[in-house]
Amino acid sequence: MTSQHKAALSRRELLKTVGVGSLALAGFAPLFQTSRASAQPKTLKILQWSHFVPRYDEWFDKKFTKEWGEQHNTQVIVDHISSAEIRARAAAEVAAQKGHDLFMFLDPPAVYEAQVIEHNELVQEVERKHGKLLELAHKSVYNPKTKKYFGFSDSWVPDPGNYRKDLWDTVGTFPDTWDDVRVGGAKIKQQAGNPVGIGLSQELDTSMAMRAIMYSFGSHEQNEDGQLTINSKETLEAVKFVRALYQETMTPEVFTWDVSSNNRFMLAGKGSFAMNAISITRSAEKDVPEMSKKIQLAKTPAGPVRRMGLEHVMSVYVIWKFAENKEGAKQFLLDLVDHYRTAFLESEFYNFPSFPNTVPDLRELIAKDPKGEPPDKYSILGDFVQFATNVGYPGYSTAAIDEVFSTFVIPTMFGKAARDELSPEEAVKAAEREMKRIFAKWEKA
Amino acid sequence: MEQRSGKGFAHLFDRVEWLGPIMLAPAILYILALIALPFCLALLYSVSDVTTGRQSLSWVGLENFRGILDSPTFRQALKNTFIFTFVSQVLVMVLAQIMALALQQSFPGKPLVRFLLLLPWVSPIALGTIGWKWMYDSLYSVINWTLQALHLISPATWPYWLGEPDLAMIAVILVHVWRMFPFATVILLAGLTSLPTEVLEAAAVDGAGFWRRLFQIILPMLRPIMTVAVLFGVVFTFADMTVIYVLTRGGPYDSTHVLGSLAFFVGIIGGDLGEGAAISIFLFPLLVMVAIVMLRIARRTEVD
Repeated sequence: MTSQHKAALSRRELLKTVGVGSLALAGFAPLFQTSRASAQPKTLKILQWSHFVPRYDEWFDKKFTKEWGEQHNTQVIVDHISSAEIRARAAAEVAAQKGHDLFMFLDPPAVYEAQVIEHNELVQEVERKHGKLLELAHKSVYNPKTKKYFGFSDSWVPDPGNYRKDLWDTVGTFPDTWDDVRVGGAKIKQQAGNPVGIGLSQELDTSMAMRAIMYSFGSHEQNEDGQLTINSKETLEAVKFVRALYQETMTPEVFTWDVSSNNRFMLAGKGSFAMNAISITRSAEKDVPEMSKKIQLAKTPAGPVRRMGLEHVMSVYVIWKFAENKEGAKQFLLDLVDHYRTAFLESEFYNFPSFPNTVPDLRELIAKDPKGEPPDKYSILGDFVQFATNVGYPGYSTAAIDEVFSTFVIPTMFGKAARDELSPEEAVKAAEREMKRIFAKWEKA
Repeated sequence: MEQRSGKGFAHLFDRVEWLGPIMLAPAILYILALIALPFCLALLYSVSDVTTGRQSLSWVGLENFRGILDSPTFRQALKNTFIFTFVSQVLVMVLAQIMALALQQSFPGKPLVRFLLLLPWVSPIALGTIGWKWMYDSLYSVINWTLQALHLISPATWPYWLGEPDLAMIAVILVHVWRMFPFATVILLAGLTSLPTEVLEAAAVDGAGFWRRLFQIILPMLRPIMTVAVLFGVVFTFADMTVIYVLTRGGPYDSTHVLGSLAFFVGIIGGDLGEGAAISIFLFPLLVMVAIVMLRIARRTEVD
């Protein structure tokens, strides 16, 4: 009995001690945190993608943010994630109402308008200093109904055609129009076995490429007033064209692609044509110099109605309402834009400025690139501002357009028609049904 | 020696009826916080118009459910969930049975084989699936390169594993089988070693050959254990979204979505949390039935 009593006492004493000790530690913890916090500089947390041109991230992470942080007594923390994870991460931060001060999207994030501050002052400040924001950037980040800039675009990325000049010379043509791509691409595939590669899968590059085709055929998701116009004869023509383009010039691998697949496709020497930013050519210069001489750039092909392309990537920073360092975030963006000529050069011409006057000698810079073969290879990019437009053209990039974009309604429409899973008419109708549902939802919101 | 009279908070730790619940409380809190609460939130979201961009929500009744039932993509995802689960579990059972019978025998290198067998199960599913994604790659597929080296295919007839719906479904099923097969093998092996040897010896003495012993003695006696293995496999495969998310992202053109992946893409990537929750809720009644059957089988096995 005595030993049982002793054991009972030991167990009770143990539990008491542990319980009281834990409570005590928890009680004292804030004192430690407070005293630590008051000695530290401010913090600015930034989340952005892992840039396809590694040199940009080297500059941004190790030079620009470090120097900025020293000037502003701020510890800048830059987190990089894969482009495919951006939306999921944004949803998580909004749900937790906690996260980064600056969050970068690669396409207009209109669905998050209610979660971000008004960026109007920021845009106006930069416009005062550097001139107007590009129209395509304005329509990507502005809501005309609420008159709110729900994001701040520092840059956009042109989406040229990347073609194998050596292969296209053998068929005596050049991919200047979509018909050229179809006819020339089919000949090259037949003669040399090199297919065209335009993604037909649920990823960013496909979304942009399919819209480039649509808009150049005069087909649009919406009109200027934001009313759904997807079911039109122009859309049907665009879908029929993509079906023919796939069946005559491509292989089924395009249904499996992610954002890096077309890069590998061209660098491996397989493809004759792809739509992509200059990451293909820059990677070729570093890793496959022989291929770099063969891959050249072309304007976005023209359709029967017009030449029109999307940006390959629309860089949009947002400052969350729950950001802990909003003032630091605003100042950072202002300073980033002030240094945009450097950013443009460090990105190796990948990031085109949304405020064009921040790189006044852009055309001169791209006209003579020391790594380009030939040196004026990249000069064609200077023309893109004339025919590049925003997602949702001729309207704005609204929340409904954002959801249509994020759920890959357009790539699915083209993909199903290309594989004859649905007829072109059925594919357009299916897309219209889905988009009607999405548009109706956001009208009620 | 007298016991001190029970007084105050300190003496709770002496009383088993209190100490038990106190010790269990953290586990119960964990289940409530990480399972019950998200489930209740999902139920609430499924009847609301909540989005990722807005914290407020309004009641919409069954509109989300009506919307998804109208969606061909949802119907395809529901069908795929059953196909992937059923086909992969049939293959898992057959292969696991073969491997378990083989591992019952002694042979050189058996510990190494057992170790290698467990690797797919213990390695993170996302990591394994990324490996498979490269094996199915349209340019660098090691499967295709091997088949080409064996002259079974030519460059013109390369299968695009993730680009054709049927091949993509086969690819997904293979990954599920690769992942679940070790777990089923271990369970069946445990079952085989617990079978009474005198029954099998008596059957052999009576002239029963291998196949007769397998189908008329071993498998019937293993049935309870096999049921447990199947039901675990069904639950894991049914509720999985990682394989689809990493391997195909639901493509080509939504043809390989399952309920879990579709719920993620619609709810998180697309921003429509209400609809995403409605899609994920569809899993619940089925998984409840599976769980009830599992518990009954387990209890019957325990009683036996």
